[in-house]
Amino acid sequence: MKSNIQEKEDRVRPDGLSKVTGALKYLTDLTFPNMLYAKILRSAYPHAKILSINTAEAEKLPGVASVITYKDVPGMNRFGIIIPDQPVLCEERVRTVGDAVAAVAATSYEIAEMALKLIQVEYEELPIIDTPEKGLEPNAIKLHPAGNICHRSSYINGDIEEAFKACEVIVEETYELPRQLHGYMETEGGVVVPQEDGGITVYAATQHGFKDRFQLSRILGIPEGMIRIFSSPMGGSFGGKDELNIQPYAALLALKTNCPVKIHNTRAESLRASLKRHPMKITAKTGTDRLGKILAHQVKIIADKGAYATLGPAVLDFAVEHAAGPYIIPNIETGGVSVFTNNGVTGEFRGFGGNQITFALEGQLDRLAAVLNMDPIELRQINLRNATDLGPLGHRIAPTDSAALVLKEIQRLYQKSNTPSKDSNWKRYGSGIAIAMHGGGLGFGRLDSAGGRIFLNKEGKIEISFGFEECGQGLLSVIENIAIEEIGCSAEDIQIVIGDTSVVPVSGSSTASRGTSIVWQSMQKMKEPFKNKLIQHASISLSIPAENLYLGPTGIWELGKEEGPCMTYKTCAEGLLDSTVLTSFHFPVTPDAVNGGHFLYSFGGVKVDVEVDILSGMVKVMSIDHVISAGPVVSPKGFRGQIEGGGVMSLGYTLMEEVKMMNSQYATQNFDTYLMPNIVDIPFDTNVYAIEELYEGDIYGPRGVGEIGTIAITPAIIKAIHDAIGCWVTKLPISSEDILEKAEARGMLSWI
Amino acid sequence: MDINNKVLDNPIDALMTITLTVNGEKIDIQTASTEKLVNILREQLNFVGTKISCGIGRCGACSVLIDNELVNACFVMAYQVNGKSITTIEGLGGVTVDEVQEAFLTEGGFQCGYCTSGMIMAVKYLLALNPNPSESDIKEALAGNLCRCTGYGGIIRSVQSLAAKKIGI
Repeated sequence: MKSNIQEKEDRVRPDGLSKVTGALKYLTDLTFPNMLYAKILRSAYPHAKILSINTAEAEKLPGVASVITYKDVPGMNRFGIIIPDQPVLCEERVRTVGDAVAAVAATSYEIAEMALKLIQVEYEELPIIDTPEKGLEPNAIKLHPAGNICHRSSYINGDIEEAFKACEVIVEETYELPRQLHGYMETEGGVVVPQEDGGITVYAATQHGFKDRFQLSRILGIPEGMIRIFSSPMGGSFGGKDELNIQPYAALLALKTNCPVKIHNTRAESLRASLKRHPMKITAKTGTDRLGKILAHQVKIIADKGAYATLGPAVLDFAVEHAAGPYIIPNIETGGVSVFTNNGVTGEFRGFGGNQITFALEGQLDRLAAVLNMDPIELRQINLRNATDLGPLGHRIAPTDSAALVLKEIQRLYQKSNTPSKDSNWKRYGSGIAIAMHGGGLGFGRLDSAGGRIFLNKEGKIEISFGFEECGQGLLSVIENIAIEEIGCSAEDIQIVIGDTSVVPVSGSSTASRGTSIVWQSMQKMKEPFKNKLIQHASISLSIPAENLYLGPTGIWELGKEEGPCMTYKTCAEGLLDSTVLTSFHFPVTPDAVNGGHFLYSFGGVKVDVEVDILSGMVKVMSIDHVISAGPVVSPKGFRGQIEGGGVMSLGYTLMEEVKMMNSQYATQNFDTYLMPNIVDIPFDTNVYAIEELYEGDIYGPRGVGEIGTIAITPAIIKAIHDAIGCWVTKLPISSEDILEKAEARGMLSWI
Repeated sequence: MDINNKVLDNPIDALMTITLTVNGEKIDIQTASTEKLVNILREQLNFVGTKISCGIGRCGACSVLIDNELVNACFVMAYQVNGKSITTIEGLGGVTVDEVQEAFLTEGGFQCGYCTSGMIMAVKYLLALNPNPSESDIKEALAGNLCRCTGYGGIIRSVQSLAAKKIGI
C-alpha cells in the first residue's frame, strides 16, 4: 500500500482515543431517566389507501405510553429538505413500504413492537408503479397531485443532429445502475428529550443540524428556538442521514408523553425506511470524427425516485451537469427525468449522481477508443478540458489544470501496468483506467451558507466552532490541522465545538464535499482579525510593540525570545473581553446563472487490475491506484482514508451491491443478502497519489475529498474487464451470470 | 445458574440468574435465558462500546471475546455465557491503550468508529493466535467484520505494523 502524501505532521485525530477505546458515546448509546422506547409502524403495502387506523388495542397494552397517528401531528404533516412531500404519518394513502402509519412509545422495545402488531390498519391496495418507465405511461396512476414526474433537467448546446451527421464513429449504449445502500454501520437513531419550556432537545445523527431544526419546527408547530439539535458524532452517513429519519416520531412522542423517547432502528427497519442511491438507466450516444475528437454526445437519464422527492431533483441536476465531465464536447444534449414510483425513496448519496453519469461517460469513451482502435488515454487527451475552459454547462468555473495532471499520472501508472501473462485456462487479466470531475458545494441557485467562529474562551482555549457534523469523515482533524497551520498554536490550545445547534454558527450542511473547503476559507477570513485582537491585547498589557508579537504554542510569543510565550492564552483570556471573530459567506459559486452549476471541482483518476474467472464468472479487483487532485492535503490519514474507503464503497457498487425490490417490496432486508465488500473482497495493493498543487492564482485552498474517490473506479473496472475478456458490461452490479454468458458468447469456454 | 421450573416453563420471558465475568469483574445478573449477550452488555451493564449493526451475525460490530474466543455477541444468549469470562473493548488496555488500539490510532484504522470496537477485538484475537499473519491470514481473520468507511486500508496497515513490530522489522 503506497501513497505519495508527504509525511507532514500527522496527528492522531481528535476523536481517535475515544473511538479505539469504545468510550465515545454515539447518540444511539445515550439513555436518560424515565426514557421510553419507540417503534414505528411502516406500511404493509407499497401503494394503498388507508381506510382506517385503529390503535385502541395497542393503547391498552400494559407498558404502552402513547400511540400516535397523523392526528397527533400538530404542525405540517410533511417532511423533505427541499420539497416537503413525504408524510410524517400517513393520512389516507401510503406510497411506499417505508411510509410511517403510526408510532408507539412504551417501556421497552419489545412492548412497543408487540403494540405495533395490535394496531389495525385497514388498507385498500392500489396498483403499483414499480419502474420509472411505468410511471411515465400516460394512463399511469398518479402518485402525487402533479403526476409522476418529480423533476426534469436538461442541458443543450450546439446542434446535436447536425453533429452526428459529421461523425465518423458513433457508439450507443444503455447503462443500468442499481439501488445502493449507504450501509453506515450505525443505523438511524437517538433520543428526544422534552424540555420544561415545551421545547425539545434532539440527540440524533444528521448531516445538517439546523435543517433538522427547521423541519422539526414545521412538523411540531413550535419555534426553532425551542429546538436544540445534537447532531454529532455518528457512525457513518454517506448522505443517508441528511434527510430526517426517526426524529419526527421520537419528537412527537416525547412531547406527547413528556418523557425522553429513544428510537434506534434495527438494520431491517433501517433498510425499509432509509434513502438509497438512485437506480438510473442512462442511454448515451456519442460520436467522434476520424481522429477521435468528440463532436456529439447525447444522453438520456431516467431515474427511479421512489415515492418522495428529498434531494432527487438536485441529484438529477448534478448528473446532467456532469454528463460531459472533464471533456469539451461542442454539441451536447442531455436530458434527465426523475420519476416517482412506489419503490423505496432514493436520495442523496456520496457521489450525488456523479457515479452513475460517469459510468456512462467513461464507458462511452472506452467504447469509442475500441472502435477507433485508439489508446483510451490518447482519446481522453484529445478531448480533455484546458485550464481556462468553461465548465460542463458552459459556465465559468475556477480555472484548473487538474484534469490534465490527473490523466498524465494515470497514464504513467497505466504504462507501468504489468498484467500477469500467465493466464491459466480459466483466469484472464486486464487493466483499466477512468477519470472523473466532481463539483463541490451545492451549486448555483442554491442557498449555500458557509461560515465559522473563533474566540479565546474563558479557559484560555482557542475555541473554533462550525455548524458541521463528524460523520467519521475526519472533520475534526481538518479543523484542528487547519487551525494549527493558520494560527500557529498547538493542538492542545484548541477546543473544537461542532454538532450542537445551540452553540455553533451557521456553516451549512456536512455534505457535497464542502466541509474542508469551508473550514479552510473561514480560517483565511478569521485568522488575521483574531490574531490581531490577541496581539493588540498583549501589546498593550506588556508594552511590547505588536509587530514583535505572534501566536504560537500555549500563548503569544515575542520575536527573538524563544524560552516561552510572553503571555499565555490563559492569561490573555482573563484580560481580553471579546476576542470573537465570526465569518459568514456564501460557498464560492459560478458567476453565471446556470441552475446547479458548480464553481470548484475536484478531479480523480483510477487505474485497476482485475482477474476474471471465466469458469465461475467471478471478477476480482487485484489492485487499485487512485490519483486525486483536490488541492493541498489537510490531514494525510483522513485524505487517504476517504479515498480508499470511497473506492471500496464503489468497488461494492460495481461488483456486488444491490438492494433488490420485487413488486416494490424490499427483497433485501439485511447484510445476509446485501453484500458489502469485506476485507477479502478488496486488494491489499491499493495506492493513493495526491496532486496537491493548485492552478496558478487559485485562492480557494483545499477541496473536500469525501466523494471524488468514489467516481472513477466503476468505469475503470468495466474497462479492465473488457481488457481481460473483450466484453462490455453495461449493468451493475456485475453478475457472474452476465460474465459467463459473455464469455460463452465469445467462444471462450470452448475448451470445456 | 438458577434454572427453576419458572424458567423451564417459559424460557423466553422468565428471568434467571447467571454469573459472568466481564472485563475481569464477576457479575451476577437477572436476565431472560434467551437474552442476547450484546443486549446484556449494552442495556444492563452499560458497556456500550460494543455495537449492534446488523443483529444477525453478519457484520462483527458486536465482536467480543468469550473465554478468549472471538464471537458475535448478537449470536450468544444469556444461558450460554453463564460462568464465562467476557472481554469487551472496554477491557483492553490499562493505564495506556492496548497496542492494537495504539496501532489503529497511528495508522488510521477507523473513521466513524462504529465498527472499531469489534474490529479491534477481532485483530486482538488474530494476533494472539498468529503474531505475524500473512495477507490471507488477515483476510480470513477479519472477514467477519465489516467496515464501511476505511475500505480496510487503515485496518490492514494497523495489523501489519503490529506484525512488523512483533517480528522486529
